Amino acid sequence: MDAVTPFLEVTEAIKELGGEDLERCMQCATCTGVCPWNLVRYFSPRGIIRLAQFGLEGFESEDLWRCVTCNNCVIHCPRGLRIIDILRAMRMMMNETGSVPPSLKGPLGSASNRGNPWSGDPEDRTAWAEGLEIPPFEEGVAHLFFTCCTQAYDARNQKAARALVRVLRAAGVSFGMLTEREQCCGDAVRKMGGEEVFGKLLENNMGLFEEKGVRSILTASPHCYNAFTKDYAEFGGDYRVRHYTEVLDEAIDRGRLTPSIELGKTVTYHDPCYLGRHNQIYEPPRRVLRAVPGLDLVEMERNREDSLCCGGGGGGLWNEVPADERFAVLRVREALETGAEILAAACPYCIIMFEDAVKTLGKEEELRVVDIAELVLDSLEEA
Amino acid sequence: MEDRIGFYVCHCGSNIAGKVRVEEVRDYIAGEPGVAVARDNLFMCSDPGQEMIETDIREQGLNRVVVASCSPRMHERTFRAACQRAGLNPYEAFHMVCIREHCSWVTEDENEATKKAIDLCRAGIHRVPLQYPLDAKVVPVNPNVLVVGGGIAGMQAALDVASAGFKATVVERQPTIGGHMLQYDKTFPTLDCASCIGTPKMVSVGQNPNIELLTYSEVEAVDGYVGNFRVRVRKKARYVNTDSCTGCGECAEVCPVTRPNEWDEGLKERKAVYRSFPQAVPITFAIEKKDRAPCVLACPAGINVQGYVQLIGQGRYEDAVRLIMERLPLPGVLGRVCPHPCEAQCRRAEVDQPVSICRLKRAAADRVDLQSLPKPEIEERDERVAVVGSGPAGLSAAYYLRLKGYRVTLFEALPLLGGMLRAGIPDYRLPPEVLDREIDYILGLGVEARTETRLGLDFTLSDLKDQGFDAIFLGTGAHLGMKLRIPGEDELDGVVDAVDFLREVNLGRGGAPGRRAVVIGGGNVAVDAARTALRMGCEEVRIVYRRTREEMPAYEEEIEEALAEGIEIHYLTAPVRIQGKDGRVTGFDCIRTELGEPDASGRRRPVPVEGSEFTISCDAVIPAVGQRPDVSWVREEDALPLTRWSTFEVHPDTLQTGLDGVFAAGDAVTGPATVVEAVAAGRRAADALHAYLQGGDLSSWELTPAVPEQTGEWAEIPEGTAPEARAEDELLPVEGRAASFGEVSLGLVEAEARREALRCLNCGVCSECMACVEACKVGAIDHSARDEIVDLDVGSIILATGFNLIDPTPMTRFGYGKYPNVFTSLEFERLTNATGPTSGEILVRDAEGRFDRPPESVAILHCIGSRDVNYHEYCSRVCCMYALKYAHLIKDRVGEQTAVYNFYIDMRCFGKGYEEFMNRVQGEGVKLVRGKAALVTDKAEDPEEEGRLIVIAEDTILGKMMRVPVDMVLLCTAMEPREDALDVARMFGLSLGRDGFFLEEHPKLEPVSTASAGVFVAGACQGPKDIPDTVAQAKGAAGEAISLSAFGKVEVSPMTSFIDPDLCSGCQTCRELCAYSAIEFDARRGVSVVNEAKCKGCGSCAAHCPSGAAKVSHFTDRQVFAEIEGLMA
Repeated sequence: MDAVTPFLEVTEAIKELGGEDLERCMQCATCTGVCPWNLVRYFSPRGIIRLAQFGLEGFESEDLWRCVTCNNCVIHCPRGLRIIDILRAMRMMMNETGSVPPSLKGPLGSASNRGNPWSGDPEDRTAWAEGLEIPPFEEGVAHLFFTCCTQAYDARNQKAARALVRVLRAAGVSFGMLTEREQCCGDAVRKMGGEEVFGKLLENNMGLFEEKGVRSILTASPHCYNAFTKDYAEFGGDYRVRHYTEVLDEAIDRGRLTPSIELGKTVTYHDPCYLGRHNQIYEPPRRVLRAVPGLDLVEMERNREDSLCCGGGGGGLWNEVPADERFAVLRVREALETGAEILAAACPYCIIMFEDAVKTLGKEEELRVVDIAELVLDSLEEA
Repeated sequence: MEDRIGFYVCHCGSNIAGKVRVEEVRDYIAGEPGVAVARDNLFMCSDPGQEMIETDIREQGLNRVVVASCSPRMHERTFRAACQRAGLNPYEAFHMVCIREHCSWVTEDENEATKKAIDLCRAGIHRVPLQYPLDAKVVPVNPNVLVVGGGIAGMQAALDVASAGFKATVVERQPTIGGHMLQYDKTFPTLDCASCIGTPKMVSVGQNPNIELLTYSEVEAVDGYVGNFRVRVRKKARYVNTDSCTGCGECAEVCPVTRPNEWDEGLKERKAVYRSFPQAVPITFAIEKKDRAPCVLACPAGINVQGYVQLIGQGRYEDAVRLIMERLPLPGVLGRVCPHPCEAQCRRAEVDQPVSICRLKRAAADRVDLQSLPKPEIEERDERVAVVGSGPAGLSAAYYLRLKGYRVTLFEALPLLGGMLRAGIPDYRLPPEVLDREIDYILGLGVEARTETRLGLDFTLSDLKDQGFDAIFLGTGAHLGMKLRIPGEDELDGVVDAVDFLREVNLGRGGAPGRRAVVIGGGNVAVDAARTALRMGCEEVRIVYRRTREEMPAYEEEIEEALAEGIEIHYLTAPVRIQGKDGRVTGFDCIRTELGEPDASGRRRPVPVEGSEFTISCDAVIPAVGQRPDVSWVREEDALPLTRWSTFEVHPDTLQTGLDGVFAAGDAVTGPATVVEAVAAGRRAADALHAYLQGGDLSSWELTPAVPEQTGEWAEIPEGTAPEARAEDELLPVEGRAASFGEVSLGLVEAEARREALRCLNCGVCSECMACVEACKVGAIDHSARDEIVDLDVGSIILATGFNLIDPTPMTRFGYGKYPNVFTSLEFERLTNATGPTSGEILVRDAEGRFDRPPESVAILHCIGSRDVNYHEYCSRVCCMYALKYAHLIKDRVGEQTAVYNFYIDMRCFGKGYEEFMNRVQGEGVKLVRGKAALVTDKAEDPEEEGRLIVIAEDTILGKMMRVPVDMVLLCTAMEPREDALDVARMFGLSLGRDGFFLEEHPKLEPVSTASAGVFVAGACQGPKDIPDTVAQAKGAAGEAISLSAFGKVEVSPMTSFIDPDLCSGCQTCRELCAYSAIEFDARRGVSVVNEAKCKGCGSCAAHCPSGAAKVSHFTDRQVFAEIEGLMA
């Protein structure tokens, strides 16, 4: 007889790795219905969970690695299940057996060996800030400016990071940097199932924070933000974490930062999943943009909670995806539909994905992808 | 007496014994002091268990009993009864220890569970010897029953109570009973028609002599306790007498105000006077009223603005004019010259711009021939009243006095009647024929007029008395111009005061003041004088004003028109002197000003700028800087008190002057003010004069009858009210306009006027246009009705307050509120109902929102807001079945070719005949898609999808995504608690469950009882349920209530508080704390006293009493401390 037999030991193993919610899934398929993958091809988180409920073969297929952890399924799940954690547990199992897609082996290995997923030399971690003379973090400095690996090593994002530093300075924010000993926050690594590597990164960073007396962290990336507020908190981390858009919003509100040069541009803002759906930060970035004179902020139809993921999270950045299946391409089309000249983002992943999508579509003349910090800098008199 | 305690520990099968080592507990307690017997039993609550206790009491001489078993909520009563049967006072002898809910069920470790059980039992053994006898009180039960809610549950419960011979009072919030069930068309699974089975119940309730029906009513307060409740009910005024209304509906025919009909879920409209549906019980209509509209409140004359605007919207100009004339006899005049403070308050401005109320008034007045109006019936009186002055105040006083039957004579100094309306306002603003028409109408009622008769010159006040006038009204106005007080003003020819200038021109006696005129001032008189000068042939007219245009008191449109006619206005310019040569004006010296600090009037004071003087060359100067009354005629012997502004001093309410029987109003009292204020004051004076003449005591005379309190609650502005342009007057073309006195404003054409009137948002809902009063043949309508308070004494209460449906608007992905063809379940029920918006035809809307065609395919989305932790975790229980019913109705009515898709998670068809129904519906070709719909969109991906709604879901059985294009989407929205469930629960002493519905006392064994004795629940207020379950529960609740009524008495717990009067200091802290209002203060003795019948023994008073006077029986300090000591031992 051609039949499958439940293999509940596998189910139990997934549950132990943090996927215990899978038992409560009622298979309503809301997750599938709201998953952005189904805009481009069939992908069923429900189906994967179903297989996992019975420990059946198939959950470990390549589909498992599609999830970009955009959180849309989680916020809509009628049972309130932490679906990302269920899939992450399965990925952890795959990591343990070494069955990780080749494309992800690079970033995972690099994170393990070099403390960043970009195969960058740890020595060069602070090279991007050369000439900016950012003071070291020490007692008396308000915030640790935590460098996202992507801003440290990706040329496009280095520009954004440098702009951010200048804007923060103009706002009179007190911040300092750690040494080259700082390593990747580990968000993507953990979402790829690299729990062991994540553990190493976490241990290194928490130790360093402890040593330097870090209480308050300012992050450029929503992924770092999420890692410190949630993943690190799981292991006893207790930091006051602020995304830079929150800090700028506050500085503008208090009159410490006043964008004044007319920009004369139509801008649309893309809510990064890890800022929006994961952490409900929707308005501060918009308020910052609206504070820029002559900036006309227009919304894409999918905005805030309904924002369409760029496809970069959960390891998606390193996944090989055919051009017609890239969410970033869909998203850039949506941005173009608004008539905006600038697509503003507040996440290094989003910037990479959108820059790439704009090139794919050949729309470099029509749409610029810009970090919010860069827009603010353009509007400052003397920064 | 020696303590002889019997201790009994229960295994509860394995419920307790599975975790607690029962024998060990038994043996431990056996060694405690005073314990004579210690035993265990598999089920202590069983008959043998109880017998064991009884036997031991008798044979072993036990005087105390402790049972360790389940929660006292389960069996305390059982064991107390056993003790009582064996001759002990149960409150003295018995104590129960809970080792099931508190130990075995909540402890993982056997050792810990056993230890905890021993500790708790020891505590009980310590406390039980300190108990003392208490006697349960028996109180009589009032046999009447209150049923709150008139839906199917409430109706059924009331009918059952009534048929048992007891009286039931049904209180229903809506104007009709029936509830949700009567909104439905068919009911599952039998498909019988809801109204066929529901209306007979309604009729029975309405006709049963044992049932009192209080519809449109709400419970406001509940007091008392089981058997003896006192309930206060507010019967909201329905403004239609239930006894005489025949339900003919003539009132609704004529009512001009439309509102969305709640009964039809807003899919259809109703009038402000309405009945939910044709079979309503009672059949009586009701009128929905909110606070009086802001326009009405703003009108100085108190005109029912909303009312006449609505009548104009219907083209009923005559009715509109009659309504206006109840408060204002000069509609055509005020339609032209009123400053319309009403428009400043109009809430339409929140959407776009205020309704053009003033222009509408004119539009109505211009379309009615006053002479054709039916003459009012006047009951003649003998008293005569002299009205001196025929301006707006005098005309108004004369009109209303005449309507009251007085013989009125108007005295006017000028040759023509009208006062300032005639002499002050130029013809191009107020054509004399309009004024004549309205004055003629007033005269036509029998008012005598004597013109060219000036007070002080031709007659005196005492002459009037001598001529037999019983009272006098002075409306002599303010016709004297104020002086500029600058050099040249008095001596030069060519200086003419604006008031004099306008009067002479208006009376046809004046000429051009010169070639080049300068008018000084910024008010309406200044602008009028300037425009009149232009029309009299001046070549050049300027206005000089000290402040800026913003501060100019003249009406904005007047200024606009003046500027358009070529009048130049010099702002920030003050007069210095008038230059002359040969006694004639040759120029006007001015100085520039700038605005300084605000003065007393709040306007910024103009300050001259040194060295900025300049001269305007001119030959006429017309000062228009204010007016005052001419009181030169007042002689000392008149003893008429004046103010220092030469106005009459009057009593602020009665408007009586210092002379008996002499009243005054208008500009002569207030100084220069608006026409509408003068009219209002004239009417007020008429009322006061009437009271005076009828010998009423004016000292206690109330100005206006008491009006309902202003609540500021107005009709909500419907969402999506589209902005519409405000109607603006057509004006005479500017070219050549200034050459004639033809009326500048041409008024609104009829279609515009009616459209403009429809912009009114009906803030007060009912506009009180009184059309219904006229239409009602039996005189059932009474707009002055007030809410009534009804106090009821009942013995028990059944709550059947029903449910709400969740609003799916926030779940944006289903498109409700965005796509016109996404409907909630209740909306679809109305669509299928013969009395609904489509008369029962299942249709979808076109782009304009009109139901115009049957759907070719329909998607039904299950579990919208239910089975979803983001909204309601619970299953709404009825949706699967009604979804199948909808599917069947669509197949049946629209045609079997219609595709119907149900998107479901699980089909829950558990009731009698339900599975069979599902089988039948599936057989009809209804498609079931297993997967919750994720998205409804109108974004087509292929031509087939164009113009339709696409439902997207994963079919989990196929393991494929599905896109289903449909024409109609039905959302199975969850049943949820009423929005005020918490307030209602508090009022009746109930708790809410986690789901927000009323909590029953026990989910299985006490499904209709509640935490509050004598209060029962029935129907969907307790949780989502279908009609069969609702009716069954209603019958259960009725049974409980009937038991109480039939038995006639009830035992109340003796575990209540008492206050030791010797210790009580009378601070009354306890009274404020008591949640049950059970503590009263005995002022004579200066102590607080507990009403034991109301006290629930909660202990708040005992815990807070600073002097330790308040104690709770059975929970005294000694008993509680002994228990704690036992626990710690």
